[in-house]
Amino acid sequence: MKVRKFIDDIKEYLGLDEFEKIDKKRAVEILLENLQAKYEQISQELKSKHDNKELKEEMDIISLHIKKAKKILKKLNL
Amino acid sequence: MLRKIFLPTILAILTYGFWISPDFKEISAGVAIFLFGMISLEEGFKAFSGGKLEKVLQNSTDKLYKSIGFGIITTTLMQSSSLVSVLTISFLSAGLIGLAQGIGIIFGANLGTTTGAWLIAGFGLKVKISAYAMPMLVFGVIFIFQKSKSLKGIGYILAGLGFLFLGIHYMKDGFEAFKSTIDLASFAVSGVKGLFIFTGIGIFATVVMQSSHATLVLIITALSAGHITYENALALAIGANVGTTITAIIGSMSANIEGKRLAGAHLIFNLVTGLIAIIFIHQIIASVDYISKAVAIAEDDYALKLAVFHTIFNLIGILVMVAFIPKLVAFLEKILKAEPGKRGKSIEHVKYLNDSVLSMPETALAAIIKESIHLYKNAFTIISRGLNLKKKNIVSSMDLEKVIRMPYSEKPINIDEYYKRKIKGIYGEIIDFSTKAQSSMPPVYIEELYKIKIANRDIVEAVKDTKHLQKNMIKYTASSNKYIKKEYENIKIGLAELLRNIHTISTMEKEDETILLLSKAKIHTKRYDIIANGTLDELIRNHLITNEMATSLMNDSTYAYNISKNLIAMAEILFVQRSGHIKNIDEDIHIDDEDIDMFLEKEEQK
Repeated sequence: MKVRKFIDDIKEYLGLDEFEKIDKKRAVEILLENLQAKYEQISQELKSKHDNKELKEEMDIISLHIKKAKKILKKLNL
Repeated sequence: MLRKIFLPTILAILTYGFWISPDFKEISAGVAIFLFGMISLEEGFKAFSGGKLEKVLQNSTDKLYKSIGFGIITTTLMQSSSLVSVLTISFLSAGLIGLAQGIGIIFGANLGTTTGAWLIAGFGLKVKISAYAMPMLVFGVIFIFQKSKSLKGIGYILAGLGFLFLGIHYMKDGFEAFKSTIDLASFAVSGVKGLFIFTGIGIFATVVMQSSHATLVLIITALSAGHITYENALALAIGANVGTTITAIIGSMSANIEGKRLAGAHLIFNLVTGLIAIIFIHQIIASVDYISKAVAIAEDDYALKLAVFHTIFNLIGILVMVAFIPKLVAFLEKILKAEPGKRGKSIEHVKYLNDSVLSMPETALAAIIKESIHLYKNAFTIISRGLNLKKKNIVSSMDLEKVIRMPYSEKPINIDEYYKRKIKGIYGEIIDFSTKAQSSMPPVYIEELYKIKIANRDIVEAVKDTKHLQKNMIKYTASSNKYIKKEYENIKIGLAELLRNIHTISTMEKEDETILLLSKAKIHTKRYDIIANGTLDELIRNHLITNEMATSLMNDSTYAYNISKNLIAMAEILFVQRSGHIKNIDEDIHIDDEDIDMFLEKEEQK
């Protein structure tokens, strides 16, 4: 048996390829948590300063990234 | 001159020795095989240094005790403090670790090297070691001929160990046979005189062989065969410890100032340790006897007692010196200063790239990233001065309207001259180094390296575009036409805001904030592009600016747009994609042109 194939078989048996996916998933989950916390923080601030254009823009950008993060997570869960 | 006569003298002495004594030939062959084994072992470990070793290093040297532990473990595994010192110098030169961490590793390596003495004294002399050597050599050489890099590495390690064992066997045999012809013990010198003479011989032997390990093996085998006295063997071991610093000094010659400082620290540490051992030799010998008795080492087992001695005096060295590491760092920084360039005139060179890290992909990549950030910092200076803005105001929280009202100087800077001095040389050296590093990199690193090269190109383009922008920026920010003046001031504010955001991104740890700032910068670049948002058309249509002004504004807003685009792309590669958890997420998380267009469309509809 070729060494490469032998190593690949062991990796498959131990599920080592999954590690990369798990790492990625964990990273997206953490980022999503942080983004949602930031979204909450901005929406709280906007309650007192509802005309603040800058904050509104930030909130729109954050929601765009939340959508993106959720999409990546969905792909990883498939 | 000395160098020229050194090699022929050594060769002549050896030839004479071989001619008069076949046993001397056997001992020398043993040393040669042992040294070859070390070279082979080093080669084997280098095969595994493509990523793993560097990752371990970065994670395990953040605290002093960890650095010392790392030095002990790696030297124990590799059985070569020289390899660990040279690797540490490379990591330090590449900016991966600090001087204090490097010193910690070197201290640990000194203690790690004592495991070699234990192995030889406890195992090498008591069993027929050559019986292990043969199968190791056979399997090792078979593996060396394999295509796989890992198998080759294992092959070199096995063959290296095999040669080490075989070398010890020949030295042992040689000394035993030698005893029947000449009694070297009759040359023994006792007292303080003997201590200094044999310390000197130990230094000389290690400088010649470039390995304290080989000297130590030679000392232990000679001691066990009764060729040298125990006291003289201790002095030789002290000498070997001092002599080994020569490898680090040679290794640091091609390194930068930090590498030279580390070699200096190594020399100071081993000299101080050696001095302590010489001054307190009687007390150390007494403690060796006490410990040997406690761990049931026979009173006449001088080989093992030498191993105990070696461990004790290196341990004392660490205990004494560890408290002085900050002072040692300060002292070395004071006496070994970086060459100061002639202010305003000299051409700047790279800080972190040196050829010693070329064979280590992860380290080479980290060094290239550090150097690219160095290039960016220079570009930041040029761009801000080119826009006639003060760097310290840009990175402060000062209102941007105020920032642009506080010029850097009355006279415009010569961007061409700055470019030649602070960008061209470094950029050229980065590209040259990357090309060399690429040849020993696996595909995944090459992909990374390609992105970093693009980031460097973006930096250079941004500086060149600033040069094109500068002339009209000076002209129109002083114009009497308030419309054109306002537009050029807006360009200035936009670029200052971008530089501020990139500076924040480069220093920020929180990834959600980093992503937010980068996306904001992308959106603002597109939103304030006056060609796309219709501002320019409006100014022309209402005859608020002349045709000449319109042409200039059109060209310059394109330059400003390109500067922004290039700097954002650079920041995404150098700062955002490599920070925190983001480096594990693919590029899908960042917003692209399509997202920006949709975002701006939505905004208009509101």
